[in-house]
Amino acid sequence: MRNKIYPFYFALGTVGVYFIFFVVPGLMGFYYSLTDWNSYSDTITFIGLDNFKTLFSSGENYVSYIINTLNFTASTVILKTAIGLLFALILNEGIKLKGFHRVMIFMPSIVPMLVVGLIFKSILNPATGLLNEALRWMGLDFMAQKWLVDANWAFKSIIGVDTWKGAGYIMIILLAGLQSISRSYYEAAEIDGANSWHKFKYVTLPLLMPALVVTTVLNLLHGLKVFEAVYVLTNGGPGYATDVLYTAIFKEFSMGRYGVGTALSSLLFLFMTIVGYFVIRLMAREEGRDQ
Amino acid sequence: MKTHTAEHSTLKGSDMMKKSMWLLTVIALVAIIVAGCGGGNTGSGANASSPAGSANSGTGGTGGAKQNITLTYLASQGWIKDAEMQLAKKFEAETGIRIDYQIVPSDQYFNVLKTKLNAGEATDLFGGQSGKSEISLNYNVEKNAVDLSGEEWVKREDPLSIEQLTLNGKVYAQTIWDTGSSFVIAYNKKIFEQHGLTIPKTYEEFKALSQTLLDAGITPLYEPIADGWHHVLWFAEPGPRYDEVTPGLYDDLNANKKKFVDDPTMKLALTQFKEMYDLGFMGDNAFSDTGADSAVKMASGKYAMTLAAQSIVNDIEKADPNVKADQFGYFVIPLADNQIYYINPGGPSKFIYSGSKHIEEAKQYLAYLAQPENLQYMLDNDSTISNLNFPGLKDKYNEEQKKLMATYTKKGTDIQDYVNYVNPQWMDMGKDLVAMLGNAIQPEDMLKSIDKRRADMAVVAKDPAWAK
Repeated sequence: MRNKIYPFYFALGTVGVYFIFFVVPGLMGFYYSLTDWNSYSDTITFIGLDNFKTLFSSGENYVSYIINTLNFTASTVILKTAIGLLFALILNEGIKLKGFHRVMIFMPSIVPMLVVGLIFKSILNPATGLLNEALRWMGLDFMAQKWLVDANWAFKSIIGVDTWKGAGYIMIILLAGLQSISRSYYEAAEIDGANSWHKFKYVTLPLLMPALVVTTVLNLLHGLKVFEAVYVLTNGGPGYATDVLYTAIFKEFSMGRYGVGTALSSLLFLFMTIVGYFVIRLMAREEGRDQ
Repeated sequence: MKTHTAEHSTLKGSDMMKKSMWLLTVIALVAIIVAGCGGGNTGSGANASSPAGSANSGTGGTGGAKQNITLTYLASQGWIKDAEMQLAKKFEAETGIRIDYQIVPSDQYFNVLKTKLNAGEATDLFGGQSGKSEISLNYNVEKNAVDLSGEEWVKREDPLSIEQLTLNGKVYAQTIWDTGSSFVIAYNKKIFEQHGLTIPKTYEEFKALSQTLLDAGITPLYEPIADGWHHVLWFAEPGPRYDEVTPGLYDDLNANKKKFVDDPTMKLALTQFKEMYDLGFMGDNAFSDTGADSAVKMASGKYAMTLAAQSIVNDIEKADPNVKADQFGYFVIPLADNQIYYINPGGPSKFIYSGSKHIEEAKQYLAYLAQPENLQYMLDNDSTISNLNFPGLKDKYNEEQKKLMATYTKKGTDIQDYVNYVNPQWMDMGKDLVAMLGNAIQPEDMLKSIDKRRADMAVVAKDPAWAK
C-alpha cells in the first residue's frame, strides 16, 4: 500500500521516456522486420514474413548461428556457475590471502572484452602464442592446438575465454550469497552428524538458490547477447564456424540488408523475452517458497 | 520502496543544501556543454557565411582573393597519402581553403559513409571505391554526388579509370591512384636461384617448384588469411583468364545469362587453391598470419613468395636493410594457368557531395590535385606509388617491374571491376574460402554462394537482368 504515497503522474516522465526510447523503437523494429528495408533503395515495401522465411530456409547459415548461440549460452551458464561456485566455496573458508585471491579472480570481469580478446588472440596464436609455447616447453606438443583457427577448437576456445572472464563476477555474487547463510545451520547439521557433502547438498545449495537464480539469469542473457567475444577473437571464422546471432545481425546491417537484420534481432528479442519471463517466474516461486 | 521513502523523510536542511549545490553544478555543466556545442555551430556558421560573401564579391575563376573556407573530407584509412596532405597545405596557402580530413578505420568506413549519405549529412568531399555497381548501388551518385563531366582533368585522366566512374554518360568522381600496379607474386630471386627454379608458366610448374621449396625446408608462400580479404585476390585476380577460356563470360555474368557455379575455370582455380593449401605451401599458420607481418616474414628468408602489391619490396628492405629490394622479382598468379597481367582501372576516388555548400571550392581542390606538377609531386613523394593514371608523368618503375610488364604483354580487367555485385561481397567470399580450405564446403558451394549473394543484391537493386 505504501506505493500509493506518490501520485501516479510522478511516473509519467519516466514512462514517457521509456515509451519513446524503448517501446516505440521496439515496435518499429517489429514492423521493419516485415519489410524489405535496405540501404540500396529509398522505398520500403511490406513483404510479410519473407525475412523470417529467409532465416529458416535451407542454404542459409542462420540455423547454425542459432545453434551456436544456444550452445554458447548453455556452456557458459554451466561452466561459469560451476567454476564460480567452486571459487566462492574455496574463498569463503579460512584461506590465506583471501582478499587478494578474490580480487585477482574478479579482475578479468572489469577488463573490457575487446582488450581480453586481443590479449587472448595473442596467447592462442598457434605458432607464437604463449599457450602453445608453454605446452611445447613442457613437452606436451600433442596438446598444442590451432585454438582459434581450427573449426573443431575455435568455438571451445571462445567459450573458454568468456568463462575465464565471467567466472569471477559470478563468484562475487555467490560469495555474497554464501556469507548470508547463518553459521547456525551448519552447526545444527554437524550435531545431526552431517558430513561436508551433506552440508553442501542440504544446507548450502538450497539457501544459495536465490543467488544461483540471479547468476543464471545474468549468464543466460549474457550468453544470448554474446557479440564481442566472437567478434574480436574469430570474427565468426574459420569460415562461418563460430558465427552467432549478433555477429550475423551485425553482418546483415553492414551489408545493408536492414530488413533481415531486424528480423533476426526481433527473433532474438522474442526468444529472450520468453526465456526471461519463465526464469523470472521460477525465481518468484523460489522466493515465495522461502517465506 | 521502503528505502526510497526513508530517504525522502530525512531530506532536511543540510541535505537540501547539498542537493541544491549538486543541482547548480549540473546546471553549470550542462550550460558549458551547450555553450561549447553552440560555439562550434556558430563557428561553422561563420565559416559558411563568409565564403558565400566572398563568392558573391566575384572571386569566380580568378582564384586570386583568399577565402576562409574549410572543406571536410571523409575517407578510409590508407586512402590519403602523406603527399596529398602536403599538397592540401600548399592549396590552403594559395587559396585559403582548408581541407579537414576525417579518416575512418577501413573495416568501418563504408558503414559510416553510407549512414552519412542516407542521413543527408555527408562531408563536402567523400572517398569511395570506383566501379559501376559500387557507385550506383552503394553511393547512389546520381543523387548524392556532383556531376564532374565538365572538369578539365576529366579529359586527361586515364579513360579506363573514368569509365569506372561514369553513370549514364556523366562522370562523378576523380581517381588519382596507382592503377597500373597490380598484386602479383613477389618471389625471392636468391632462393629461386639456389634451387634452380624459374618463374612458372602453368599451375603444374608452380606446384612443382613449390614442392621443391617445401622439400628443401622453405615455406613456399606467405599468405595472410587472417586479414579476411587478402586470400580472395587468388580467386578474383585471375578473372581475365576465366574470361579468356570462356569468351564473353564477363558480359554473360552481367546479363545473368551465366552463373559462377557453371564456370569450369573458376572451379578449377578454387580446386587448385585448395590443393596448394592442403599440400602445405602456405605453411602451418596461414589462418593466423596477417598482412602486417608480410615484409618481415619475407625478409627472414624463411618464405620464398608472397602475393602482394609491387611496392612490398621497399617494405622488405625497410624491415631488414640487408635484404635489398632488387633481390625480389614478380610473376602473376598462375592458377588455372593464368598468364595475363590484370589491371584494376578503379581505385579509391573522390566524390563531391551534392548537398555540400562549397561545391565550387571542392571542384577547385580536385582541379588543383590533378595539375601535372602536383601529380608528379605525389608520385615522387610516396613510396607506394610507381605511377599514376594520368599521362605525361615520370614513373618510378624499378627494373623488375619493367621486366614484369614486358613478360606479360596481355592485360585484362579483374573480375570485381567488371562483373557486377562481386566487389561488395568481397569479405563474404573470404569467409567462404576459409570454410572451403577447412573442408566445411566444396568449391561448387562457394560459387553457389557467390551467385546467391549476387542475385540478392540484383533484386534489391531492381536489376532488369534478374527480373523474372
